[in-house]
Amino acid sequence: MNPTPQPVGDVSPLELRGVSLRSGASTRVYPTDLTLAPGSVTSIIGANGSGKSTLLRLMSADLQPTDGRVLMHGADASGLSATMLARHRSMLAQETSVAFPFLVHEVVGWGRFAWRRTPAAAEDDRIIDDAIESQGLASLRDRRVTELSGGERTRVHLARVIAQRTPLLLLDEADADLDLVGRRQLDDTVAALALEGTTVVVVSHDINRVAPHTDRVIVMSRGEVHADGQPAQVLTEEILSKAFGTAVEVSDEAGRPIVRLPGARPPGQMCG
Amino acid sequence: MTLRWPWVTAVLALTLILAAAAALLIGVAATSPEVVWNIRAPRIAMAVIVGGGLAVAGALMQGSLGNPLADPALVGVSGGAALGAVAAVALGAAFNTGLASIAACLGAAGAVAIVVAVSIRDSKPEVVTLLLAGVAVTAFTTAALAVLVSMSDTAGARSVTFWTTGSLALSTWGGVLSVAPFAVIGLVLAATTPRSLDALSLGDRAAQAAGVNVAGVRYRSLAAVVLLVAAGVATVGIIAFVGLLVPHAVRAIIGPRHGRLLVVSALAGALLVLAADTLARIVANPVEIPIGAVTALVGAPAFFVLLRRTRARQGGWA
Repeated sequence: MNPTPQPVGDVSPLELRGVSLRSGASTRVYPTDLTLAPGSVTSIIGANGSGKSTLLRLMSADLQPTDGRVLMHGADASGLSATMLARHRSMLAQETSVAFPFLVHEVVGWGRFAWRRTPAAAEDDRIIDDAIESQGLASLRDRRVTELSGGERTRVHLARVIAQRTPLLLLDEADADLDLVGRRQLDDTVAALALEGTTVVVVSHDINRVAPHTDRVIVMSRGEVHADGQPAQVLTEEILSKAFGTAVEVSDEAGRPIVRLPGARPPGQMCG
Repeated sequence: MTLRWPWVTAVLALTLILAAAAALLIGVAATSPEVVWNIRAPRIAMAVIVGGGLAVAGALMQGSLGNPLADPALVGVSGGAALGAVAAVALGAAFNTGLASIAACLGAAGAVAIVVAVSIRDSKPEVVTLLLAGVAVTAFTTAALAVLVSMSDTAGARSVTFWTTGSLALSTWGGVLSVAPFAVIGLVLAATTPRSLDALSLGDRAAQAAGVNVAGVRYRSLAAVVLLVAAGVATVGIIAFVGLLVPHAVRAIIGPRHGRLLVVSALAGALLVLAADTLARIVANPVEIPIGAVTALVGAPAFFVLLRRTRARQGGWA
C-alpha cells in the first residue's frame, strides 16, 4: 500500500500561475508561471537575495503570494489546511534547530504528524525506521538530537521529511552542513526518491551542486526567473554571467558542466 | 538517563497522597476535626490545584512559545491575573468568587496577548523579548495594583505583599470552588496539545510544513495557561518559578515529550507546592513564611542557571 496521495492522470504536483510576492513597495518575486513534471528533479540557483528561497517558500505555500495561485495536484494551495498541505509536500528549511532534547527517532517520527488518524499511520513505525536507515542514522536512533553535529542534524531532518512520504519534496540548501560523503548520500537520496516518482526541488548556493541528477535548472535573478531549462541549456557562460553579475567560466568535465570564476582553479562555492 | 514515566507517575501520585495525609495531621494548632476539615483540608486542596496548574502552565508556555525560560509569573501573566482580580474587587466583587476568577482570567489574557504580540518577530516568538515584555507588564500591573489597594477599601483588605508573594494561608472551601472549575477546563484544553507541541519544537515554519496548525495549538495552549494560572492567582496571589522549575526537572527525568511531561509536571507541581507550604507553616512557627517567598528564594538562583544554559545553546543573544 502506498500511503501518499496519487496524482490523478498527469496532473502536475505543483503549478505556479502568475505567482508574485510584494512586501511594501518592493517586489520580492515577479509574476512567475511554472509547472513541475511528476518525478522530476529541479534545481533553483541564483545569487544571494535573488529570490530563490522565497520562490521555494511560495512553492511550499509557506508564504502566501500577493497575486496568482499555487496549485498542488490541481488544488489551490491557499484552500488547504496545514495537514492537507503536509500530505502533498514536505519542506526542509535551512534552519534545523529543535527547542528541546528530543531523540532522533522522535524527531523523524514528526514526519508522520500529518498522517495521524489515517490508515497510513499503521505503517508509521516501518516508515520511520526506513527513513532513519536511508540516512545512515540507525546507530544514532536513541541519541538526543540537540547533541548531534550539524551534518548529523541535517540528515535527521532529511529523514524526517522523507518519512512524510509526500509526492513533492522541497529542499532549501539541504547540503549546507554536509561533508563530502553526506553530499553524495544526499544526491543518491534525491535520485532514488525521483525514481520512485517523488518530485524534488532543491535550492542550492553552489552551482556545481545542481548537476548530478537535475532535469531542470531555474536561475533566479532579482526576483525573476532569469533562465529555465535543461542543465546544458541553462548552465552557460552567457546566462550565468548575467544572472550573477560577474563573468564566469563554464567547462565540461566528464559530461558535466563545471562553473567557476575566471582564475579560480578548483570548482567550488562561487556565490555563497 | 531517563526513567520510565509510568513508574515516575505512580511514585509521584503515591507521594502526593502521603504528603496530603501528613499535611492534614501536622500543624501548630491542636488537631481537631474542625481544624482538619475547615482549615487544613482546603489549604491542601488549594496547594494541589494551584501547584499542579502552575507547573502545567509553565510546560505549556515553554512548549508553545519554544521558550525554555517561560514562566507564568516571569512573563507577566500572573501579574495580569492579580490586577484583574483586584480591579474586580475594587468594583464590588467579593474575593474568592467566580466573578473575581473571571476578571483574573481577563487580566491574564490581556497580559498574554501583549507579551506574545510584542515578542513575535518574523512569525516567531523571541526568547528574550518575551521575558523583557514580561518585566514591563509586571511593573505596570504591580503599580496599578498598588494604586487600587491603597485607594479602594474593599481591595485594601489584601496587601500588595499578599499579591506579589502569594500565600495559601487564607484558603477556604469557597476559594477552592472558585478555582477548581477553571483548572479542570484548563487541563482538558491542555490535553489536546501534546503531539502538536512536540512537533512545534521544530520552530513555527518547519512545524507548519510538517502539518502542525501552529496558530491553533498556540492559542489553545495559552488559553489553558490563562485558565490554569489566573483563578489560582485570584485566590492565593502570585507564586513564581513553579512553572519554570518543575517542567525542567521533569524533562531531565523522563524526557521532553509533552504528553508525559504535562501529566508528571501536574503531579510534581502539586507535590512541590504542598510540601513547601506545609514546611512553611511549620518551620518558622509561630510566624508563617509566604509560599511565594519560598519558591522565589529557590527559583531565582535556578533561573540564572537556566538563563546561562539557554544562552549557550542559542549561541548568545544581543
